[in-house]
Amino acid sequence: MNGFRDLEQLSADLDGQLNPAESARVKSRRQADPELASAYEDLRQAKNILHKLPVRKAPKNFTLTRKMVGLKPPLPRAYPTFRFATAFATLLFVASLAVNNFSKVNLSYSAASAPMLGVGQGGGAPDNFNLPMATEAPAATEAAIAEAQMEPTLSAESAANLTDAERMTETPTTKEAPSESPNQPQPLEEAEPIVPSSWQVVLIALILLGLLALFWMNQFAKRKWRNE
Amino acid sequence: MDEPALIQSAQHGDLDAFNTLVLHYQDMVFNTAVRVLGDDDLAADASQEAFISAFRSLSTFRGGSFKAWLMRTVTNACYDELRRQKRKPTTPLEPETADGEEVDSPKWLADPNLTPAQKAEADELEHAIQHCLDALPTEFRTAVVLADIQGLDYSEVATASKIPLGTVKSRVARARLRLRECLRGFEELLPSAFRLESEEI
Repeated sequence: MNGFRDLEQLSADLDGQLNPAESARVKSRRQADPELASAYEDLRQAKNILHKLPVRKAPKNFTLTRKMVGLKPPLPRAYPTFRFATAFATLLFVASLAVNNFSKVNLSYSAASAPMLGVGQGGGAPDNFNLPMATEAPAATEAAIAEAQMEPTLSAESAANLTDAERMTETPTTKEAPSESPNQPQPLEEAEPIVPSSWQVVLIALILLGLLALFWMNQFAKRKWRNE
Repeated sequence: MDEPALIQSAQHGDLDAFNTLVLHYQDMVFNTAVRVLGDDDLAADASQEAFISAFRSLSTFRGGSFKAWLMRTVTNACYDELRRQKRKPTTPLEPETADGEEVDSPKWLADPNLTPAQKAEADELEHAIQHCLDALPTEFRTAVVLADIQGLDYSEVATASKIPLGTVKSRVARARLRLRECLRGFEELLPSAFRLESEEI
């Protein structure tokens, strides 16, 4: 016997895994070598005794449920279309929000930068001229009031004259001021959004309808599956 | 049973078709798991896992012997279970009677056709063989269980164990020799079985 190689051949012969020529060779060697014959018997006994093991019946049925394998109910054919439409409407809605916000930011930025451009081009001169006059005007009024308080005996007429004179000095500055400063910042007009709000409402409605349809289809498929 | 048709339907997600295959192979799968793991409860868990895994990976089955392919999932489930046992050994609880007392051998109640003496003898033999199987290295045990208990040919064992044909040949031979050596120690316990074998020689 030539070690483990012979044992492998004997075992394979026992299982009918050798071709006829190999099998015949092993058989003749077995007949000539008692050691090989004994080993063959050992292998055969081991194989036979395993056959004596009783066949064990499964203690229960191992059939699978949908839950076990995580199977989901088959959804209607329209489901992917609805899902895509809802997702697309959501994307459009988000994009519309972004576009409208971006346009607002752009408008306010250009409005903020307009006066700065005016100063640079010399348009700020009237503003500079108006400033001292605007500060002087209250001083003149204060002086007039103080004068009136100091001379309480003055007649109403002179008081009226005084106020007229005061008005003469005061009014030109206060009245002319708006007309002399064309570059003064005007109140911002509400900018028209690029995507009309009516479109956004339609998109929201589409999204809600889509979600509702998807939810309903899901529930319907589950209920149908459960009843099958 | 039209096995190829059932496999094809199951591959398309037909669970009923797969369950037909489960019912056909469940005894074989459980039997293999019991012999590799040596424990009924673990074997039941491994069998269930094997069928779940088989259903999920059915798309990878490319024809050939479905039995061998299924045996591969069972042996994998058994190896997983053995690895889990090594990491976290547990003591299985014995089933209880209605009075809350432990049933020493629930198998005793399983087969009403055998007399207690026959059952005891069969149990002894089974325990002795299982003891010797458990003493084998896992790879040898799997090879011999598939070849000698399940009757798979060498190429099917090779597919099921994912090993070359030469390795199957070697493992089966070594396992048989070791088993024979081990069973010699039970000759007094198993006289009838061994007498029969000796008489045949």
